[in-house]
Amino acid sequence: MSAFPPVPIVFKVNGTTRRLLTAPRRLLSDVLREDCGLTGVHVGCEHGVCGACTILLDGAPARACLIYAVQARDHEVTTVEAFSAGGELSVVQQALHEEHGLQCGFCTPGIVVTMEAWLNEHPDPTDAEIRDALSGNLCRCTGYHNIVAAVAKAAARRRGGDAT
Amino acid sequence: MTERGTIGAPLLRREDYRFVTGQGRYLDDIAVPNCLHAHFVRSPHAHARIVSIDIAAAQKCEGVVAIVGGRDLAQWTTALRMAPPIEGLRPVEFSTLPIDKIRFVGDPVLCIVATDRYLAEDAAELVTVEYEVLEAVAGLDQALAPGAPRVDDGLSDNLISHQWFSTGEPGRCFAEAGVVVEASFRQQRQTHAPIETRGCCAIWDQGRRHLTMHIGNQVPHPYRTQLARRLRLSESQVTVISPDVGGGFGQKIALYREELTVAALARELRRPVRWREDRNENLIAASHAREDVVRTRAAVDGEGRILALELEILEDFGAYCFYPANYLARVVAMILSGPYRLTNYAYDIKVVLTNKCGNGPMRAPMAITSWVMEGTIEAIARKLTLDPIAVRRINMLGPAELPYRMPTGLLLEDVTPSETLEKVLAVFDMPAFRARQETDRARGIYRGVGLCCVVESTTYGSAFYKAAGIPGSGHESGWVKIEPSGAVNASVGLMASGQGYETTLAQVVADPLGIEPDEVQIHIGNTDTAPYGMGSRGARGGTAGGSVLLIAAQALRDKVLTIAATLLGLNTSGELRLSNRRVERRLGGLWTDSGLSLADIAHTAYLDPLRLPPGMEPGLEAHRAYDPPPMTFSNATHLCEVRVDVATGKIGLERYLVVEDCGTVLNPLIVRGQQHGAVAMGISAALLEEVVYDNDGQNRSGSFADYLLATAVEIPPIEVISQHTPNRRTPTGSKGMSEGGVMGATGVLPSAVNDALAPFGVVVEAQPLSPMYIRALLRGSQ
Repeated sequence: MSAFPPVPIVFKVNGTTRRLLTAPRRLLSDVLREDCGLTGVHVGCEHGVCGACTILLDGAPARACLIYAVQARDHEVTTVEAFSAGGELSVVQQALHEEHGLQCGFCTPGIVVTMEAWLNEHPDPTDAEIRDALSGNLCRCTGYHNIVAAVAKAAARRRGGDAT
Repeated sequence: MTERGTIGAPLLRREDYRFVTGQGRYLDDIAVPNCLHAHFVRSPHAHARIVSIDIAAAQKCEGVVAIVGGRDLAQWTTALRMAPPIEGLRPVEFSTLPIDKIRFVGDPVLCIVATDRYLAEDAAELVTVEYEVLEAVAGLDQALAPGAPRVDDGLSDNLISHQWFSTGEPGRCFAEAGVVVEASFRQQRQTHAPIETRGCCAIWDQGRRHLTMHIGNQVPHPYRTQLARRLRLSESQVTVISPDVGGGFGQKIALYREELTVAALARELRRPVRWREDRNENLIAASHAREDVVRTRAAVDGEGRILALELEILEDFGAYCFYPANYLARVVAMILSGPYRLTNYAYDIKVVLTNKCGNGPMRAPMAITSWVMEGTIEAIARKLTLDPIAVRRINMLGPAELPYRMPTGLLLEDVTPSETLEKVLAVFDMPAFRARQETDRARGIYRGVGLCCVVESTTYGSAFYKAAGIPGSGHESGWVKIEPSGAVNASVGLMASGQGYETTLAQVVADPLGIEPDEVQIHIGNTDTAPYGMGSRGARGGTAGGSVLLIAAQALRDKVLTIAATLLGLNTSGELRLSNRRVERRLGGLWTDSGLSLADIAHTAYLDPLRLPPGMEPGLEAHRAYDPPPMTFSNATHLCEVRVDVATGKIGLERYLVVEDCGTVLNPLIVRGQQHGAVAMGISAALLEEVVYDNDGQNRSGSFADYLLATAVEIPPIEVISQHTPNRRTPTGSKGMSEGGVMGATGVLPSAVNDALAPFGVVVEAQPLSPMYIRALLRGSQ
């Protein structure tokens, strides 16, 4: 990578300020996984379709495989690891578990991150709205049925409503 | 059958915590110090001779450690010879990497090893390979044309397998039949597309002369056998470790050439080497599946009774045989008649090589079966203007006819096809639908309802492999150990890629031992720990793997109770049982605590063996193998309501209903998830997925923008009604399941679309049912 000398970047990852040197062409997904040890960022397609690498960039869902790490400079990145920082599952994580909304688990981190953010903006979604929001995350195992049920359950719990 | 009922409980999965928190450990999550990265230079052509290779510039690139090709690999590895003694199948042999000729777009030509993946890919840009482009065999018709180019220079033509069979008197039936009905079906080429692509990490220990291969794989032991053989190592010199697997669906079974190359390089370079393919490589060069043209001819009487049936399959197997080429289509032919009565039957199966990525099994290798059979039934109904439900009923096996010997010799038993059909029809209000259909047609809205009756071949026993001419065994091995503390470990040769074995198999082991499933740890995926088993493929996990662990746990329970009887001074253990980690004794009809715990027995067995019954071996371990019946079957009826937009050709799924009978289930929650997933994979394929090659053999579907997988928007809610008729021959009554949903969806969608488009007189004969295809049919009808 001598033609592309590493450059220093500073950004915030899951609430902690990180300073590192990286070649400008390295993907954010690679830097998060390899330099920050955040292996919950899964790389499934490297062209922005499957959604497994979804992270939050300043609170909004983004594909880590479509962003160079240098573009995250001075921004705030949140990965799936942040949602269970204290060891307790987040509402979406717990609902996915209860509704059997995952099988191989490879797409799951991207779904957790996407849905945690989306539910902030859409606290009372219909199933059709959930399916639409979920359409940016490919899952080859579950047929989505139980993921939709889990997100609906998580929404209800976040509203403090019927959580069964 | 069970003492405490942990089998069949809807327990939540124990493996979920690590997955939802991002702590799953997939291949790329295993950090290996000092590891090199491999990248493959692939052919841009479908069929070409390699004239020259210039790697001089690439070798000078920063970080490049080695660049190797077919000639290097031929020194270090053994070629793959696929030559099982199967009638009609021709033997083939091919080198680890191509030496003289490439056979499809994506065929690996060189492997570049560098200190990181970016640098390896940089170097690839500087490699020059000169090709002499040959005419490509880009399709089925071309493959069999006289004078066609040969995909494999070692064969005289492209017909890799030709098998035929006849039973009864089909010839006489056709000669005498009043009516002969023909139907045809084209299933498109597909690929598995697990969200985690292929990859591996090979570590060679020069001091011990031992290879450790980390790879997400469904069948660790058969994989180890292959890997050791092709590296000319003994099986004791290779350990295969499968971490969490991000989806397999049949793609992670074979030893692929890239993986063998990486393993050989780790040994030659004496450095760990890892490889992760990108999505483009996965779509064009991992493994493909299906692509069949199928025709049926049925001789029928005036009421639609099938008197004889002929089946013709023409399958495009791609360029390389990682499996015997007869294997997948043969199963379709063997189980075709499914739930229907049939005596006079003949089939003819031709499998050809083409300049495409090699084929392999994909979830439901026999996916097309139910479409072909149900489509034939519906063609009969159309020809005779009968109700297709009536034609199903008149041909369907009734409960009194079971067990039933299918014309290919398989024994169909403990299935309930008429029950699931009638149940679907009881739940779905067909008269109301027909009224709605008619009203809406007048408004230009075209609704249709489809049916598909499925008989799913699930767990293949060794006897089936033998009878079908497929190399391999259907047995599975497992062990259960109660450790000195009373902790319970168990292992089996299966490997999970989302099936939840750590939960369901713990339920199985816990049951006879009288403990909670949480107290059983399942250890899978490491060939040094797990017993040699056949791994996860087909729908065998629950029946082959669950059964062997049940048998092993029962054997251990018997030993525990025998020890307890001795410690209690009893002559027999007949009045003892295990419950809540305690030994209980029946006194006067009541179960009471004996004063002994499971841990007490374990302590005695390991650390105080002189107190054991005379002659008993110390320790508490049971290792068993189990060979399932030749074949177990599950069955189902699928119903789907669609709405077709005749202006755009778009198909919307309004309702999807399945009644499935898969016998005793180990965990209904997990079984339901498998049913959803299978149906979704079938819907995705029927509507969207297609590997597209153009006339030059160029792959046009190398990204997820081209190879379309269904999202949550295309897949409807899936209603499942479960029935549980146990299989009489398996220890738990399980039958196996998880592929039938693909079969049902593959068949039910064409059925529904044909119903919707009946006013136009069109019949779908190909998949995917894309808007372009539907519009082309409608244009043709106008």
